[in-house]
Formats: sequence, structure tokens, C-alpha cells
Amino acid sequence: MQTGIKISLTAHVGLMGWVVFGAWFPSEPLPFQVQQVTMISNAEFALLSQQHTAPEIAADPAVLATPQEDTPLPEVAAQSDAEPETVVPEPIVPPAPEPELSERPEPEPAPTPAPQAPEPPSLPEIATVVPETAEPQVAQPADRVAPVPIAPPAPDTTVDEIVQPEIAPDEGAETQQEVQEATAPEAANDRIVTEAEQQDEQASIAPTQSLRPKTRPRRPTPPETTVDTATPNEPVEQPVETTEDAVADAVAEALAGGGDVIAPEPSGPPLTSGEKDALRISVSSCWNVGSLSTEALGTTVVVGVSLSQEGKPDAGTIRMLSSTGGSSTAAKQAFEAARRAIIRCGAKGFQLPPEKYGQWRDIEMTFNPERMRIK
Amino acid sequence: MSGLTKVILVVSALGLAACDNLTGGSGNSTDLNSAGAGSVADQTSAAYFQQEIGDRVLFVVNQSTLTTQAEGVLLSQANWLLANTDYTATIEGHADEQGTREYNLALGARRANAAREYLVSRGVAGNRIKVLSYGKERPLEICSDESCYSQNRRAVTILTGGLTG
Amino acid sequence: MRVFLTGVLFAAALLAPAGAVVAQNGPLRIEITDGVIEPLPYAVPSFIAETASANELSAQIARVVASDLSGTGLFREIPASAHISKVTDFNAQVQYADWKAVNAQALITGAVSVNGNRLTVRFRGYDVFADKELDGGGLQFTGTTDGWRRMAHKVADTIYSRITGEGGYFDSRVVYVSENGPKNDRRKRLAIMDYDGANVQFLTNSASIVLAPRFSPSGDRVLYTSYESGFPQIHVMDIGKVQRRVLSTDDGIMSFAPRFSPDGRTVVYSQSQGGNTDLFTMDINSGKLTRLTSAPSIETAPSFSPDGSQIVFESDRSGSQQLYVMAATGGDARRISHGKGRYGTPVWSPRGDLLAFTKQNKGRFHIGVMRTDGSEERLLTASFLDEGPTWSPNGRVIMFTRETQGANGRALLYSVDISGRNLKPVRTPDGGSDPAWSPLQN
Repeated sequence: MQTGIKISLTAHVGLMGWVVFGAWFPSEPLPFQVQQVTMISNAEFALLSQQHTAPEIAADPAVLATPQEDTPLPEVAAQSDAEPETVVPEPIVPPAPEPELSERPEPEPAPTPAPQAPEPPSLPEIATVVPETAEPQVAQPADRVAPVPIAPPAPDTTVDEIVQPEIAPDEGAETQQEVQEATAPEAANDRIVTEAEQQDEQASIAPTQSLRPKTRPRRPTPPETTVDTATPNEPVEQPVETTEDAVADAVAEALAGGGDVIAPEPSGPPLTSGEKDALRISVSSCWNVGSLSTEALGTTVVVGVSLSQEGKPDAGTIRMLSSTGGSSTAAKQAFEAARRAIIRCGAKGFQLPPEKYGQWRDIEMTFNPERMRIK
Repeated sequence: MSGLTKVILVVSALGLAACDNLTGGSGNSTDLNSAGAGSVADQTSAAYFQQEIGDRVLFVVNQSTLTTQAEGVLLSQANWLLANTDYTATIEGHADEQGTREYNLALGARRANAAREYLVSRGVAGNRIKVLSYGKERPLEICSDESCYSQNRRAVTILTGGLTG
Repeated sequence: MRVFLTGVLFAAALLAPAGAVVAQNGPLRIEITDGVIEPLPYAVPSFIAETASANELSAQIARVVASDLSGTGLFREIPASAHISKVTDFNAQVQYADWKAVNAQALITGAVSVNGNRLTVRFRGYDVFADKELDGGGLQFTGTTDGWRRMAHKVADTIYSRITGEGGYFDSRVVYVSENGPKNDRRKRLAIMDYDGANVQFLTNSASIVLAPRFSPSGDRVLYTSYESGFPQIHVMDIGKVQRRVLSTDDGIMSFAPRFSPDGRTVVYSQSQGGNTDLFTMDINSGKLTRLTSAPSIETAPSFSPDGSQIVFESDRSGSQQLYVMAATGGDARRISHGKGRYGTPVWSPRGDLLAFTKQNKGRFHIGVMRTDGSEERLLTASFLDEGPTWSPNGRVIMFTRETQGANGRALLYSVDISGRNLKPVRTPDGGSDPAWSPLQN
């Protein structure tokens, strides 16, 4: 017992000394803030809970339990079960036919805001401290996935589908020259890079890790340039359809009396595969499947459209011809994404040879998202 | 940080005035969940059990089998419990943070039970020993490496009866 | 071949009516297989205040709608500073060309009126490049002013659903464990909040450890594990009344990891006895217990399939934690995880097609998804410690716990799209763990 008392005294003195003096000595700062949550009084606790009375959203006030001020347990009003009234407001007068799109002064696309992380919801009423995580945050390389990876453009370059060189006003020039900002395609990855994969790639750099064979060399690819320069160096070959197809087409054409469409406009020879590719790539670059449901991403739609002689799609002619692989809802979303692609990228007219108008006036585009699916 | 400082930190943080416990200088033997009573000098005290017998055994990663060292400690515990029949005990099983929450809860239960079965095999009556698991909810050491994890993978025998020193 | 082809073509031409000079080849056919995946640009101008008292709410509601939509990572807002035309009349024709000019592919307009504490929100969505309203037309929600956030979420849910074709998830809540204090003295209490972190409300005090809450299928009750008795036991709480009761049972038998069946009548959970943890079901009304597993290994973290016929769970019967599927009545289980590492905390997607899980491999933790037969495994995250995924009501987003490393480590809630994009923290007032997403509210 003697020993016990001695030790106890020593410990007490030590403890008091540490409490009194400890704070004055330069020591490691306490690594965390200890919050005495148990100090919250019943009243405070009740208040915390009560101020979040569940709101009622319905036409008729449903039975709403009133918070009891004096009960020790926080009372929260029951969620109202009633379906919120959804009333279709007065129908709007159908929109007057818009003037022909092309007649409007072609507005330059406004500078597209740089892709930015969606702002977190602003919640002023909650003091939130999101501490820095110890881990280095690996920035997502680009918030966009495109068929061809595109290196981020120079900081002050406007993002546009069409790559344009910068034209600075020429000081000495006689003629007015339009100032043209340099544009570049938006930065993009060629696939979705998840955090897990990023870390894998990082880890594979580390010498301590055994290297995993990477199947995806990530060499910088020069930005894909404008659609009309994308293909000419490819060997031009005639689109060789299978014999049966060609025959069937020809027969069908003949039987359908396709010949009665005596094109007043030039028809010319069939499009070369290069010309077709240019059109395909042009539409691809506007075909955004990023907001489609996973089911719509499994739905292929065939869309018909007629173009004007300037290569601009006639919005009224865009229609879904068929769909495979999904419900009608999914097909509808898939069709709408396809329609947006055709309208947006066709707004300035697709680059197609005018002398072959008869060949491309009516187009059937199959939008097959198989390769874009979440995998 | 010295062992003594660590003890003081723990004690002051918990606000426990378990003064008689502050012997031995080993931070690891100060229990978070109960304050041993009596003097270490008293061989029948809970304090003696904690300090001298050793109230805990440690486990290797993901395992609940007892090491030779653990069996030695448990043998002493069994002998002490056989000699001090006033006491009952609860064995608390714990896991390190390297695991999912519910699995670790089950793993802690397995560890506590391994310790209990050993005590029973040495003659301690089964109805004197209960088991309980905290999984990874109550780590003793808070760093994120093996030096801490090895201390957290533990089964601690807490005496629950006969608190007369 | 060439001769043959020419011959057939010639024959076909002969079949054509006289006068056909140029035979067309029919429409040009192309196939598009490569698109882009990027957020869809949209605009949501401040809603029109139809009464003077609605000024503040009309702006706030539009902000919450934007926050919901942009927060999915599927949409990107065109800031108001870029808008060309202003919407001043809810029923007037919108200027499609002005919105096309700023590349707003969707447009949301709305009007708000306040009478006393009655709030009415009307809204419309437009497919700008199609020059038309989104199908479904304008809608109107009415309610009390204190429910304005929920009404904004409902607007956003409607728009989200009309554009993506899948259900929304904004008008939903999350129950989680609020965490405070250092790792060796962590204070935990049950908390509930809107999915976006607003309206946090505490359901228990921090006197005892609480773990892994789960919503009932109707969202009115929460199951969780609490050490209130000093011993881990299953509790069920009525959220509306904040009243709780203990569901289990014998003293001395630890019970934990409870989840509701899809009909809300049965609870599947783990019971630990003699160091062995097995799965049981309990009829919530009668208290009748049924043992589902009897292996000497750990069986825990169960999750019902949405149709209630199957249960996925984790077991170390093979020597390490792996995922298994069995009938909801018990019996033989089939192992479905076969990759490297350990797999735990499987959760069946509300759509029924995927499982989310925690994976441990080479000292790191991942949240991943796989098909219910274990195929097509994809890891979405990687960190020192990620665990405990929960699905958004539409099966598109996963929320989980991320704990940081070291003595100062703390737990926070994160969410990620099932594509692996849009990984971000969820705001909570303190630390948070073990999130569980509610179904969509009524």
C-alpha cells in the first residue's frame, strides 16, 4: 500500500504538472479536435432534431404530427404519404413555326465553359468541414470520353468541334479581317478512367510494384483535326456492298419505282468511303451518350433524316425508323440523343460533295452504342 | 512519447481517476474498458490480474488461433481464475482497421471465443466467462501500420465480479 | 462476278418504269458506333417569382435543381451569365435559337408562388435542339414552404427522368452513422439527412456505438446494430416518431448486420455464438427465427435480391472472405466472387442486375460492381479504406464510406457513378460512415 500511495502521489503530481504546464511547452499539436458531443444537453438535442420537421408536400395538408416541445425524445413529424399533386398547367399555345434556322444570323458558339467539377450543393445552414484527405487527390484527367483521346488544349483556346487556327487582326492589312479565336477540340479520354484504374497506372510506375502489363499505351495523340481533313490520305475505295445487298437494293429500288424520283439536282457517283467516313465522324463528335440510362446505352436506333443541298438536316424529317435492344422508353432516349447529334453537328451543314447531292439527300443513320456502354 | 506520458494521456482523456493502476509503466496494460481495482501487490486484485498476469492476448492478421505466447498468458489467467473464484469475466475481442466492419465484428467474436475456449479447457467454468466483440470499433492504438495493428488484434479479459481489492 | 452483277443491275433497270433516268440507291446508310460521353449542357434560369414573397425561394429552388442535375455528373449547367434570353413569362414561347446559341441542349423553366405557407412550383423542360418541350409537359407541385427543397428535388427528378429515361434519386434520404472524435474514442450516433447532405437530423445520442443502419422498403423505419445494452443487438427505429425497440433476443448472443426483406416483414441478420457467426431470418411480427447457414465459418453482410427470392452474403468458408448467393430460405450457396483478394459487404442493386461490394487486395480497398453471377467485375474506386456501398434508389449511384489513413484518420461519405465517374465527397457536418440510401420518397 505504501508503494501504491507513493506512486499515486507521483502520478497525480505528474498529471497536474502536465495539465498546467503541458500546454506551454512546444509540443506536438493535438492531432484532432475532440468534440464533447456528450455535453449536448437534452434541450439542445431536441432542438437539433426538431428543426428538421419533415416538410409536407401535398395539396391537402396531410396528418402532420406536431413536434412536442417538452418531450425528451425528439419528435419528428411523419412523412406525408400523400402523392404531391401534379397538375398539368394550362396548355401552351403550340409554338409558331420558327423561322428557318439558317435564316437566323449564325451565332458563333459562345465560349463553352471549361468542363468543371459540378459544384457541390451549397448548404449554407450546415457548417461543413471537409478535411483534406491525406492521400494525394488524383485529378480526373478529362471529364469527357471520346473515340479518339484528345490532349487538353492550350488554356485560352475556345473549345469547339471545329478546329480553327487563330487569326489575329493584321495590322497593316487593307481589308477587314475577321478576328478568329483559335479553337481546339475539347480534351477527352478515349475511355472512362476510374479511380481504381488510375491508381493501378500510378502503381505500375512505382518500382516496388511488379509491373502489370498495360494493354493501353497512352501516347499523346495529336488532336483530331477537322472532319474534312480526316480521311483524304486513306486509300479511296468504292463502297463495295455485297452482291446480294446491291442486287436487293437495285431490285427494291426498281420495284419501288425509285426511278420516278428524277433528281433535279445532281446525283453523281456514290460517295467514296472517305466521304462517308467524314460524315460519320462528324455526327459521332456530337453524339453524346453521357446522359443516357444504362438501358438506353444498350439500345441501337436507326434514324432517318433528309438534308438540304447545303448539307443541313431538315429537323422535321428526323425520325426513328427502328430500334433494337431496349424498351420503347430507352429507344426514345436513344433517339433523342441521336437527333441532338444530327441537329447540332449539322447546324453549319455537313461537309458533303454538292455534286453528289442525290446520293446523300436521304440518310439512314444507325446509332449503335455497343462500344460506348459502361463496362 | 514515453509510456508514462501515454498512460497519463489516456487517463486524463478518459477522466478516470484509477490512480492505483499507474504502475508498471506499460501503457498497454491500462484498460480502456474497466479500471482494475485493488493494488498490484495484492495477488487477488483485478489490478494484479491486469498487470502481472496479463489481461490480453494478441493475434496475427485475420487469424483467431492462439500463439504459444498467447497460450502462456491464458494459462496464467486460467490458474488465477481458478484461484480467485469470486470473479467472472468478459472477454472482448477486437480487430484492426484493415477489414470490413461487420466481418471484423465476427472476427473479434471468434478471437474472444478462442481465448474463452482455452480457459474452459484449463478448467475454468464456462458460465463464468462471457464473450463480446467490438470488431474494429475500439482500437487501442491509432496509427495505420503494423505496429499499431498488432496491438489492436486482441482479446482482453475483463474481470466483472468481486471488485473488492 | 462483275458481269453477273452488271447483268442483274441491267435487269433491274429494265423493271423500272419508263422514264426513270437516274436510279437512286435509296438512302445513304451509315453506322455510328463512336460517340462521346460528356455531361449534357443545360440551362436553368432563376424561376419566376409570381408573388413578391416568392422572390427568395424562386431563386433557391432553381439552384437546388441545378445542384441536383450537375451533381450527377451527367449534366453541366450553362451559367446564367452566358444566357442570351431571359425567361420572364412562364407561359410564353421560349427562344430556342437563343438557347441553341449557348449550346444549352436542355432548358428548365419554372414559376413559384407563395401564399402564406403554401408553396406552388410549376416547371417545364425543353429539348432545345428539337425545338420542343420534353415529353410529359409542364407539371405543378404544391406543398408547404418548409418543403421547398423536396419540391426542388422532385422537379430535378422529373427532368432527370425525362432526359435519361431512368428514374431519379434526388428526393431521397440517407441514414448514416455520424462520427466524432479520435479513432480510439470515436463517438457514433445515428443520423438521417437528405441525399445531398441537407437537413441533417440525429436519431440517437452518442452514448453507445451504433453500426450499419438500413432503411425499411417503405423508408419509414431503420434497422441498426447498437451497443446500448453493452452488447451488440439489433434495434429498429420508427423515424417519424424517433422511437426504437430491440428486436433481438437472447442476452449473450451477439446479433448484427440486419437488413429488411423487400416486403418489410422479415429481417435477415448475423448471430454470433461460440465464435461462429451464421445468418438467420426473423419474422418481424412473430419474432420467429430461422437459421439459414450452419457452417463453422463467418457468414455475414447479407442482402436480399429485390424480388426477395435470394440472398447474397459474404463468407470465409473458403479460407478468405468471398461472396455467395443462396435462396432466401437458406440451403446451398454458390460462390460468385473469383478474383484476387477478399470480397465483402455485397449489396444487391435495386434494379436487380448488379451487386456492389467492397474488395480488399494488396493492402487497398475498392468499391466495385459485378453482375449477380460474379461476371463483369469493375472496380470503381481505390483508397486506403473504402467500404460499405449503398445504392441510390435508381441503381445509378453508389454511396460508401472512405476512411483516411493514420492517427488523424477520419471517415467521410463519398459517392460515385456506376461508370466510375463523378467520385466526390458527400457533405456531412461531422465525419460519417455506413450510409444507407432510402427509396424515393412519396
